Amino acid sequence: MLRLALKSVLAHKLRFVFTALAIVVGVAFVVAAFVTADSLRSTFDDLASDINTGSDFTVRGALPFADITAANPPPVPESLLDDLRAVDGVDVAEGGFFVDGVVPVDGSGVAPTTLGGPIAGSNWLDDESLSQYFLISGAWPQGSSQFALDLVTFADYDFELGRDYQVVTPTGPRTFTLTGTMQFGFPENAGVGAVFVVFDTDTAQQVLGFPGEFNQIAVRAAPGADIETVRDRIETVLPAGTEVITAAEATEEFSDAFETFIGPFQTILLVFAFIVLFVSTFIISNTFNIVLGQRVRELSLLRSLGATPQQVRRSVLIESLVIGVAASVAGIGLGMLGALGLEALLSAFGAELPDGPLPLRLRTVAWAFLVGIGFTVAASLVPALKASRVSPIAGLHEDARPDAEHLRLWRSVLGAVLGAVGLVLVGRGLFADFDSTTAQLLSLGIGAAIVFVAVAVLSPLIAGRVVSILAWPLPRVLRTPGRLARDNAARSPRRTAATAVALTIGLALVAMVMVVGESIRDTFTDSLSDAVRADYVISTDTFSGVPVTLAADLQAAGVAAAVGFDEYPAQVESPLAPGRVDDAELTVTDLSAIDEVADLGSIEGSLDGLDPASALLVHRDTADDWGLSVGDAVTVRMASGDTLAVNVGAVFDQIRPPFWDEWIIDESLHRQTADADRFDQWVAVNVDGDDPQAARALLDEVLSAYPQANLEDRQEFQASIESDLNTILALVNVFLLFALVVALVGIVNTLTLSVFERTREIGLLRAVGMTRRQLRRTIRWEAAAIALYGAIVGVALGLGFGVGLAVAIPDTVIDRVSVPTAQIVGLVAVAVVFGLIAAVFPSYRAGRMNVLEAIATD
Amino acid sequence: MTSSPVQTLTAAARAVAATKIYGSGDTEVRALDAIEVTFEQGRFTAIMGPSGSGKSTLMHCMAGLDTVTSGQVIIGDTDLTTLSEKQLTLLRRDHVGFVFQAYNLVPTLTAIENITLPMDLAGTTGDKAWIDDVVGATGLTDRVKHRPNELSGGQQQRVAVARALAGQPQIIFADEPTGNVDSNTAAEILGFMRNAVAEMGQTIVMVTHDPVAASYADRVVFLVDGKIVDELHEPTPASIRDHMTRLGA
Repeated sequence: MLRLALKSVLAHKLRFVFTALAIVVGVAFVVAAFVTADSLRSTFDDLASDINTGSDFTVRGALPFADITAANPPPVPESLLDDLRAVDGVDVAEGGFFVDGVVPVDGSGVAPTTLGGPIAGSNWLDDESLSQYFLISGAWPQGSSQFALDLVTFADYDFELGRDYQVVTPTGPRTFTLTGTMQFGFPENAGVGAVFVVFDTDTAQQVLGFPGEFNQIAVRAAPGADIETVRDRIETVLPAGTEVITAAEATEEFSDAFETFIGPFQTILLVFAFIVLFVSTFIISNTFNIVLGQRVRELSLLRSLGATPQQVRRSVLIESLVIGVAASVAGIGLGMLGALGLEALLSAFGAELPDGPLPLRLRTVAWAFLVGIGFTVAASLVPALKASRVSPIAGLHEDARPDAEHLRLWRSVLGAVLGAVGLVLVGRGLFADFDSTTAQLLSLGIGAAIVFVAVAVLSPLIAGRVVSILAWPLPRVLRTPGRLARDNAARSPRRTAATAVALTIGLALVAMVMVVGESIRDTFTDSLSDAVRADYVISTDTFSGVPVTLAADLQAAGVAAAVGFDEYPAQVESPLAPGRVDDAELTVTDLSAIDEVADLGSIEGSLDGLDPASALLVHRDTADDWGLSVGDAVTVRMASGDTLAVNVGAVFDQIRPPFWDEWIIDESLHRQTADADRFDQWVAVNVDGDDPQAARALLDEVLSAYPQANLEDRQEFQASIESDLNTILALVNVFLLFALVVALVGIVNTLTLSVFERTREIGLLRAVGMTRRQLRRTIRWEAAAIALYGAIVGVALGLGFGVGLAVAIPDTVIDRVSVPTAQIVGLVAVAVVFGLIAAVFPSYRAGRMNVLEAIATD
Repeated sequence: MTSSPVQTLTAAARAVAATKIYGSGDTEVRALDAIEVTFEQGRFTAIMGPSGSGKSTLMHCMAGLDTVTSGQVIIGDTDLTTLSEKQLTLLRRDHVGFVFQAYNLVPTLTAIENITLPMDLAGTTGDKAWIDDVVGATGLTDRVKHRPNELSGGQQQRVAVARALAGQPQIIFADEPTGNVDSNTAAEILGFMRNAVAEMGQTIVMVTHDPVAASYADRVVFLVDGKIVDELHEPTPASIRDHMTRLGA
């Protein structure tokens, strides 16, 4: 039986390739996801250990809650340096800085950008290995008017040694002379995608805003000293609120921080991989079904020669196993190519990964084979079972008959049950409370998958009729070829349904994304226009934001209002709810002016005359939840460990994250804590209405000193948010496109097999005078009709899912349902075009058939 | 009745030194060897011969389904050897009718749609009255809306003959049209074809190996080794068998 199965695979190489292709794409996705993520991991792991090679300990402020991905550790006092140097076993200790958002401006007035990497201000140390900052050319900066720049930025932008440049620091734009270039860690880390602006230590303290303080202190133990012992000794000199971590811990923490980005990246790619594999399963199952249907004679001959049903079943499963193994191997190859492509894409955006072999871990290979073989064999289970039920005399009457009545009933019941289960899971995912997002997404995902299976089971019941209706124009427009195209698409509802379901899934997902995307966009656009009252909004691409000096400079220049906003992680407690501690995003802004730029909705209490040193604004829902009203005491704990005792000054009822959230305090209060950085996430600006052009000119003048800041009026701001959203949606759709490509392969596969099956009919048509062109047209539009059916069902499902999601997502993100009609119609048109493209190969083959041989075919 | 009808009738189709060679060198096979034959209008001709005699090849070449290696094949005034593949297709559609041994009908089309298929492909409506006559002659007027799988084998073949007749082609080629049916059904189909020639004035060329079937024809042409070796007018089953025995077939 093994030999038989292998022979069967080899005898139909083309079919084999097409069948495997779907799985190859899915496996390639899995491999590319793992390999790229592993490559990123090893890059950052190497970087992490490089950074820490020269030091044994880092001393820094402790974070009572939150981790370093969410908050900056508070600074440590300079005086700690002497205490540390006095510790027995400590060889060297130096204070250092690393502040994101310090932007150098090149000779052409351009600010360097990164792909999410920091643009950091820092200081050099005498002991180069301690900081891993190495001077490459020129000299280290000395005194308050010099700086050095990293090698890559120096080369990529318009900089020259010895000339003066502006650097936008947290204490405002300042001019420095560029004295040298430096490199962080080893040469292979040169392109980590970060920008380094380096000062001497005193200057760094001044311009970065930490007089008498350091971000952290790097410590190296004396040669031969026992690390644990030294650590214990260090801990005895540390004041409260500071901590010491070893180089190993720092390395791990750094890697973990990046894992919070790499992990989701990998997961997202894997989700797309599983969508592709899921779609492939339907295609493979369909292909096996058709092929085994065509081989009924062969199978019944085998059975009459004494093959047992088990042997028949096994031969089918072995065939699928062979395909699965081959597809996995090919998928690993293609996946490595895909990973190379992804790396090229990443480096095109500036994040260069090191050269060298891509990390193909054993885990990746294991997954590739597991999903490649698993999905293929799973897809062939039902066909294998059917094949084993072929009776020894089945070859005598092999017409493919439509489902018998009891089968239709069975189909309806199974489909209804699956549909109900799927919908319950989806509904649960949408509306029930979950402890973890993962569990919620799993419920949604599995529910959606079951709904798709239900659609696949039910679809044959309606496919014939619906296709006939959808394809009604074909006979009118294309006459007989159109008539035949319509009837061929409708003649085998099971096959049409199974072929279309792959497209259905792909389009359902795309349509869902479109509806959700459009709803988010409309919600956002509206909420912005009714809630953000500012004439202009200033934002920036750097992670930290713009220096707080910008708002001050604008106010000094005489604009009507310039209000900075920022958010910090915090914990909230209140004597009204003893024992309750909530994590919160705390909005920090100017309470006296917030009303001028933001519409907080109706307000209980008054924004006038609030004491900035003790006032807290709370969103109505949150206040109700806590039982808070105006005047109640609340304790806000910052990530730095500072605690603020405040009172509810007013309750407002409109939040607009990420612009402002449920809890708001004044910036002057926050600046008294060690938690405050010197940046605003965004700045809302109002200008006098009398002379808009003069007002804009004034803004431009102030902003010319801050080239990293983007000044946008309301329309521009809205447009740029929309375009960001569009980019994300486009990216998602590009990945979903892979599922559509797999669906296309499925249509090619089915049509090729159908054409083969109808050889005699095609021969007859050609004999009685159908031209090749008419024949190709018939097959093309058959494919288009199948695709249209798949698309319509998919879009209907996708609209359902999309509307469900839009309703379930909180009103702050989506408060309405918008359906992008034109896009959806376009999507259906694209699907039909996909069908036409899928028919190119099968119709070419049909056209090439020899009429005589075709007629003579058995 | 028996004397020289040849002079009074014009040719619907003819072959001039038609030669068909398969393969080359040692494996060369002459399926047709310089055949000269004329099929007259308004007559029912049967082509007979043993397996491998070239009778099917002759029919395929005459009908424009296959091409000859040398010589000419002429239908009406058209020399098929000068036509492109597309022109051959259009010639088949507009001027030639076909009846095959089996699988004559498109399963998704009804009987009447199958009958008008060549005209539909051409985008013409055909002669409505004539088509009604043809359908009437099949005796299937009340079944024309049925699909092939709802018709018996004999009914299906009658629909196939009707399809061949419907476009009033120059000539109809039938390849073992009764090869797949029982003798009663065969008689019904052959009678219908006989009538189409005798009463409707059509021209039919039929390949068969069955002397009874051939006896419905006006004339029988015997083929051996790609050559026409004999012919018989106004045949009977007995006279055909007699000839076949003499030919060693």
